[in-house]
Amino acid sequence: MAETTKAVFRVVINGSIDAVWNELTKQGEAQAAVFNCWLHAQALAVGNKMQMRTGSGNYAMVVGTITACDPPHRFAHTFRFTQYDDPECEVIYQLKQLPAGVECTLTVDRMPVGTKTAKDMQGGGTMITNTLKSVVETGKPSLGTRLMFWMFARMEFVLSKKSQVKNWPLQ
Amino acid sequence: MDEDQLDLLFHALASQPRRAILDLVRNNGGCNVNFVTSHFAFSRIGVMKHLDVLQAANLVISQKNGRDRELFFNPVPLQEVHEHWTDQYSRHFAARLTRLKRIVETGTKGGK
Repeated sequence: MAETTKAVFRVVINGSIDAVWNELTKQGEAQAAVFNCWLHAQALAVGNKMQMRTGSGNYAMVVGTITACDPPHRFAHTFRFTQYDDPECEVIYQLKQLPAGVECTLTVDRMPVGTKTAKDMQGGGTMITNTLKSVVETGKPSLGTRLMFWMFARMEFVLSKKSQVKNWPLQ
Repeated sequence: MDEDQLDLLFHALASQPRRAILDLVRNNGGCNVNFVTSHFAFSRIGVMKHLDVLQAANLVISQKNGRDRELFFNPVPLQEVHEHWTDQYSRHFAARLTRLKRIVETGTKGGK
């Protein structure tokens, strides 16, 4: 069995717990906090498959299965980058109401050590939590992040054919 | 990040032992207090006091796992500070200078 590791990211967001929950679970529009991808799932229920797709809807960047959905406190799913052949890990969002705001803890568990997935998730966790904070508190991501999304949308043609949605049925 | 949180963060970082603990936790995510204590000359109580300061600054997260508590480095507050004082342009040129410094001083492009 491959060695795995865990990473934890935490931020306190000045907003309502429902607003944070909505940003993490909304469907039918881009989730700025999660690299502007669109969450697709038949329903947000444990055991259902989920995907994070690009804005065009042509590519599934991440696929997984929902492992926890307890609004507005806990949302978790298995996680696999479609472009890599790494084993899946698990992503867990835990929300807690504090006097100062909403404590959002992102845990990435069972990351296979030394893989591209582990490397990307170490950097991606900070990006997700900070962008989530920015979106809930100001209504939009930072300028730098918006520029990055603009680039992503125009560079979609470089993505691997393996990531095309037709290869990853939701059923 | 408000002024009180910034004070907690810089207070936590303004201590050589705490920075050493932070490095240790970053490089050994999921370690426990005993592991940290074994790397320092001061007592377990001393280590726990430093960890309390680091946790108050949100730089270290403690998560319960069975009977144990696992410690993790949280990079998010440092990223917030970075974003607070830099913009797209200064970030670009500052990164070029730090890269130049690293190449000249260590002969390598990557690493920390």
